[in-house]
Amino acid sequence: MTPLMARLFDALDERVHIAAPLRRGANKVFPRHWSFLLGEVAMFTFGILVVTGIFLTAFYRPSIEPVLYTGSADLFAGRQLPAAYESVVRLSHDVPGGLFIRRVHRVAATVFIMAISLHLLRIILTGAFRKPREPNYHLGLVLVFLAVASGYSGHNLPFDLLAGTSLRILYSFLQSIPWVGAAVSQWTFGGEFPTGDLIPRLYVVHVLVLPALLAGGIGMHLYLVVKQTHTQFRVPGVDARTHVAGEPMWPYQFATSTVLTLVVAALLAVAAALVPWADVDLHGPYLIAAATNASQPDWFLFWIEGALRLYPGWEWRLLGTVFSGLFVVGVVMPLVVGALLFAYPALERRVVGGRDDAYHHEVQHPLAVPFRLGFVVALVTFFAILTTAAGHDVIARLLHAPIESVTLALRIAVLVLPPLAGFGAAAYARWWRRRYR
Amino acid sequence: VSLHGGPPGPDDFVVRDRTDPAPGPGNTAVVVLACTAAALGAIGFAISLFGTASPAVLGTSLAVAFAALALAVRRSFAAVYPRIEALEHRKAPEGRSDRLAAVQPITRRTLVMRLLAGTGALVLLALLVPVRALAVRRAGVAEDTAWRAGTRLVDDDDQPIRADAVPTGGLSRAWPQGVARQELAAVILIRLEDAVAEPPTNLDWVVNGSLIAYSKVCTHAGCPVALFQAERGQLFCPCHQASFDARRGATPTFGPASRPLPQLPLGVDADGYLVALGDFTQPVGPPVG
Repeated sequence: MTPLMARLFDALDERVHIAAPLRRGANKVFPRHWSFLLGEVAMFTFGILVVTGIFLTAFYRPSIEPVLYTGSADLFAGRQLPAAYESVVRLSHDVPGGLFIRRVHRVAATVFIMAISLHLLRIILTGAFRKPREPNYHLGLVLVFLAVASGYSGHNLPFDLLAGTSLRILYSFLQSIPWVGAAVSQWTFGGEFPTGDLIPRLYVVHVLVLPALLAGGIGMHLYLVVKQTHTQFRVPGVDARTHVAGEPMWPYQFATSTVLTLVVAALLAVAAALVPWADVDLHGPYLIAAATNASQPDWFLFWIEGALRLYPGWEWRLLGTVFSGLFVVGVVMPLVVGALLFAYPALERRVVGGRDDAYHHEVQHPLAVPFRLGFVVALVTFFAILTTAAGHDVIARLLHAPIESVTLALRIAVLVLPPLAGFGAAAYARWWRRRYR
Repeated sequence: VSLHGGPPGPDDFVVRDRTDPAPGPGNTAVVVLACTAAALGAIGFAISLFGTASPAVLGTSLAVAFAALALAVRRSFAAVYPRIEALEHRKAPEGRSDRLAAVQPITRRTLVMRLLAGTGALVLLALLVPVRALAVRRAGVAEDTAWRAGTRLVDDDDQPIRADAVPTGGLSRAWPQGVARQELAAVILIRLEDAVAEPPTNLDWVVNGSLIAYSKVCTHAGCPVALFQAERGQLFCPCHQASFDARRGATPTFGPASRPLPQLPLGVDADGYLVALGDFTQPVGPPVG
């Protein structure tokens, strides 16, 4: 510290005692394991998303009013474009660094959701969700939902062809809700699709509501981690119930986090340099009743897209309403998966633990609890098959197989493989436990 | 100032193991080189923003800056600080804490408190009523589109379509004339080749024995039905691969759709142009719950 900074620091410390909490922070001991860094990657990419997002809002116009494009891209010269799309094209072609920052924002969103998903897998597989950390686990699930909603809403703001198609499908999902579908869809969209209210509403959700909830939620998540202390893997000679073993925040945990942050930033920059993420010129603006063959949502919604393709054309008329495949796939299925994850800690306690009421600060090997491993493997298999099914036309083309056979095979697979894989994994874990314990 | 100056006290942690740094002779050189690369990357990034600002150059220079800085951080910390393995007392909350306020009521006037809670809830509920504004502008319902008896079909350039001038394979999009583009009114106009329409197609609405107009809004999820494979007589939606038999009233043949595409009552006016004979008789688009 330079003398001036030291004097400023002392002046502040004499008034608000800043050194005491800083000292506690600097000396907080962090368990040493790579998997504990996944959450940090998520937190850091959230920061990048906020900063790049603020830059993007300076140029984006939340409207679908047609405007004359006068920018430098020859492809759109003299054409009427929806204002939102026009502003995104202008940002990409005529703002220095605009396209680069859009790409970074897009790839950071992908890494954000990937890191969150892997972090969640780590928390479940190692049993870090057990008492006393269930509330933070549940908060984490809410954050997963908010992150996916952010990704979805952001993906649709440019109002390119993919965005319009994806919003049309959301409109259909809302319509499919029994009894109230027509009302809910029209209230949400402000009338019949596509309306002028839609993009302004989506905009405020994406740049204000969701980021505010995410920032508050992440703050709460971290506060609970500090208050309840970190879990850790077994360290020989350390009783995890009374002590945390690892490295103090300062200096090495700080250095590790900084290096990790910089490496992720470098990878994001490389990805933005090489891959045309977010280059919406490729799709063109949304036009009513136009679609392209490669209409796909973002990767983290492939599982819903895949389920839409596999679910047969069944609908039930019951009690004066319709229960359609859209409702089952777009509303019921995500709710059931969410509820399963939400209920998992209680479920495991009931099935495995004999109503275990102890405090757990030591995390476990992923093979330690067969039921847990089976649950995770079954769920991941379910996601993987549905994600694959989102490209079942591509698979059919590659295999030179009729789309009907590919669909049928995937329908069988999504019903049979998850339980098979789950039981298989649990059996393996049981064998492993006998062999090594 | 002793931010981290003093030795760890009992409130901090106990040192289990300590390894002092033994940087090799080349370490300083590596740090200097890495810092140089990072500075060059940062300057390159800044300069290229004044030029072409291509993502490739911006991303590469920034990646060099970040990666080099990461190396510099790693090597400089390793040269300066000892590695510490420490043990910290876990102070996670366990058991129950002291709860509730110190001041307790002197009487059990439960009625008063319930009245208060109920009124508070009522005031909050009143604040929710503005949400109803969302419902004010409810435009039409799915069964009601812009088609009326005598409305001409027009193409994307607003030109009416002569029944004898429909190209082979038909038209991917047609609209009601004189109405702003309404999504639910869009139709796909097909011309059957070497095949005749059969029930459940409404044969009265087939023009010249081969022209049929179906709603373009897929009955599965609302995507536009984009493709007509004339040789198989199949209509096809690109979003989720729903397919429909164009010769038999667009009944679903495979995939996720549960309902046929509604058929537009189609006819020809006195001048030979394609017209609607009325609105769709079936609801357009995906099932509404």
